Formats: sequence, structure tokens, C-alpha cells
Amino acid sequence: MVVAGLVVLVGVLLAPAGSLLYESGGPEACANCHEMGRQVELWSGSAHQEVKCGACHGDALTMDARVHWTNARRVAEHWMGRIGEEPRLGEGQVLEMMSRCEGCHEQEFAAWQAGPHAATYERLFLDEKHNHTRHLMNDCLRCHGAHAEGAIGDVVAPLDTKGPWRLVREELRGQPAIPCMQCHAVHREGQVLGRKRLEAKMAGRQQETHRPGLGFYDRRSRAGVRAGLLRVPKMEDNGRVLRMSADGRQAVCYQCHAPLAGRQAGSGDDRTPKGVHEGLSCLACHEQHRGTTRASCATCHPRLSNCGRDVETMDTTFANAKSGHNVHWVACADCHAKGVPRRR
Amino acid sequence: MKRRSFIAGTAAVGGAGCGRGEGPAPGYRVLTENEIRTLDAWCEALIPADDAPGASWAKVPRYIDIQLTRKFRRLLPRYREALAAMERWLAAAGVEGMAARLELMEQGKAPRELFADGGKDAFEMVLAHTLQGFYGSPRHGGNRDYVSWVLLGVAPVPVRGREQAETGKN
Repeated sequence: MVVAGLVVLVGVLLAPAGSLLYESGGPEACANCHEMGRQVELWSGSAHQEVKCGACHGDALTMDARVHWTNARRVAEHWMGRIGEEPRLGEGQVLEMMSRCEGCHEQEFAAWQAGPHAATYERLFLDEKHNHTRHLMNDCLRCHGAHAEGAIGDVVAPLDTKGPWRLVREELRGQPAIPCMQCHAVHREGQVLGRKRLEAKMAGRQQETHRPGLGFYDRRSRAGVRAGLLRVPKMEDNGRVLRMSADGRQAVCYQCHAPLAGRQAGSGDDRTPKGVHEGLSCLACHEQHRGTTRASCATCHPRLSNCGRDVETMDTTFANAKSGHNVHWVACADCHAKGVPRRR
Repeated sequence: MKRRSFIAGTAAVGGAGCGRGEGPAPGYRVLTENEIRTLDAWCEALIPADDAPGASWAKVPRYIDIQLTRKFRRLLPRYREALAAMERWLAAAGVEGMAARLELMEQGKAPRELFADGGKDAFEMVLAHTLQGFYGSPRHGGNRDYVSWVLLGVAPVPVRGREQAETGKN
């Protein structure tokens, strides 16, 4: 009995001791596990290079037994000569990481929390109106719950339009279905924003149009694809090719707010602006993390404008089919009912 | 000096100077530093960089290294043998002409004292894996930053919207 107890005790202490040993060697020691090499290489050139591995992935003093279990398992696999796939964060780890993101990016996190992209699994997958009229399918997981393990049937059941629906894993109910890592990659190359941070957000020459860490989590490859490799589609409006903004960041938006194969503006989930707002980037109006647009109207439409209209009070949403000021498609003729004045 | 020749040269010098028996190269799983250098030169000669990156930049050797611990596990002895033979060939015959050597191997005309079958078998093996590593999905370790897909005009992640089909009330 005593021997068994000692064996268990040694086993329990061995895992954190192993973690401690690796941590004493710094991040490079993590690359001693050969499958970690690429991740450490990427991280060393990233904006997060000053943040040590343990800060996000847990260290020897982490109380989460899974961290130690995973480390111990990997060591055992090495001893047995089984080198596994490159480690990737699982669903639970991605969700846990968010509190660590919040630790440094408080403002961005708060903005995201207040916006529609913080929608929970409950909100998205148990939406009765949606589920009664549209089929639940694996493709939903491309944008919603992209980190979820398994298929759509492992997230929500039943997969019909009758319901009632329930989450297969109840613990997902309050969890965000579009977490930080849907659009950001922590290890991707980049520089710390530092003093440029504020300038990058404001309209002007220093305004940001590209960010290396921005990307889209591709569920198929279980990895983020950086925004620079994603395409902004060439959109059309009844045969006319639309002018598109050069802002490469919006390629990420188009991954989910995507048109159908014909690339017609407004088809599928697309919201490409045409009419008077043609050529504007998504991020010209939508705040990056909150996604809100109201405050951005004033950037171009001051209250004391020539026409005297207060655009902030207009119903500019695409959700209201009766709105005459759908901000994505409003055209000159929508306001100039008697004819559009000639340009002077 | 061309980049390809430089890589071949460093592989030859490295290969001549060091014996086997050391551990895997930093960041790699099984292949040693010398083996990676030789393999890098070999792959780069098969898909050389021009105005676009070649196999070396695309991390094709990393793909092969990873797969040698997985799907290609049984091929590890053949790889070690082929890379050792190539190292000796490069060390003995100088640093130039990796591509010419590969042409000889393709025809099965490499020195028999290095490759028993004239090199055809090793050539075919590395060629197949180089193509896989260069054109396959980056999730397997090669095709860094989707370089070949971008070259071919294939979107890493296609933009595809969903028909907002109404199923009707049930």
C-alpha cells in the first residue's frame, strides 16, 4: 500500500518536475521536442516574442492537470519512438487562451465582448428561427465554432428543422463561438505595435491596412492562414465590376461574409458596399473588434453637412428590408428622388 | 556563384567533415544537420527558386523529415543511405552540378559504387516526396505559406458563400 502510494506520489510530482526542467531552459527548450520546432521558430519572429511559452500555455505551477498530462504523454510517446503530429491547441485550450489574451489586450477584448462576434454557442446554434428554416450542417463550423472538435452533430442535436435543439456538450453553452484565434494567430510574424498603435487606428496616412498577425482559422488544416494570403474577391453588381478597397485586412471578413460563386454583391452572406459607399473597406466603418458602425458615420458625415441630414439617426441597417438607407447599398437616387444633381 | 551551387557546396563540405551518429538537426525530427543540408540541396535542385521561391524556402525537407517519423517511417533507412551516398558524391566530385548529377540518377547512370541501381530508385523517391512537400497542404510541414498554391493561383482558403436557402416551415 505504502509502495503504491509512493509510486503515485512520484508519478504526480514527475509531470510538473518535467515541465519545470524544460522551462528552466527557456522557450528554446520547448523546441527540444522536435515537433515543436516550427511553432517555436514562428513565435521567435512574432509580435509575442517577449511573451514566454508558459504565459499562454501554462507552466510547471499550472494547476490544470491536463497541461501536465499532455506534457507527460508526449514525453512517453518520445520514449516509445512515436513522434506525433505538430501540437495544435484543442477546442478547450483555445477558449482558455482568451482570458490570457484579455490579460494584455483589455480594450480590444472588451470591445469584442460588446460586439456581435462574441456570440455564444447557445446564441448561434440554438437559434430557433434559424434552425426552423435552415439546415444545420458542417459548413456552419467554418465560421461559427470553427475550433469545435468533431462535426456539427457533435455540437448540436438534432440535425433537423423540427427541434427542439440542444447542445451536445452543455459546457459550450456560454462559450464564444468566434474566439480571438478565429482571426488572430499568436505565433505569426510581426512586430510589437508600440507607439504606432494609436496612429494605426486613426484615419490618415499612418492608418493600418495590413497586420501580419491577422488571418483566418482554417478548420480543415487546423491552422490560421494569414490575411496576406487570403483573397478579396472581385465583386460584381449585375455585370459591373465593383471598385474594391485596397485594404487587405477585409480579406478576413470575406471568408465568412462571403458571396456566392457568381460574386454578386449582396448574394449569400456578402455585404460589399455599392452605390455611394462603393470602394470602402469593411473596416472603414466597422470598428475592428466591436464591429459597430454608428460612430464611424460621423467621420465622413458631420452633423453640419450640406444636406442637413443627421445620418446617425437613419436606419442604415441591412437587416431592415424596408430601410431606404441600407448603408451597404444606398445609392444617390435613394435620397435624390427627383434626380441626381450633376457633379460640379 | 548560383544559390543552388552554394547550397550544394555547403552540403558537400558539411558532409565531408562530419560523420553520422549525431542527433536530429535543430527543429527537425530525425534527419541530422548534414542530412538536412544535403536533402535541402537535392530538393532545391529539383524545384529551384527563380522569381518564386523553390523547394528549400517552401520547407520541403521539413515535410520529408516529419513524414519520416510517420507515413514514410519505413523509408528512413533508404533515405539515410541515399543521403549518405549523395554526401560522398558531392564531397568527391566537387560542389558544382547537382542538377547534372540528378539527371544521371534519373537515367540510372550514377556511380554504382554509390548507388547500386545507378540512383534511379533514390531519385524517384526524393522527387515524389519533393513534389508532395511542395504542392501538398502546409499542414503536413511543407508548402510554406502556400507558396505553390499562390503560384498556381489556387486560393489557400476559397471564398465561398452559402445559399441562404429557406427550408420552409416544418
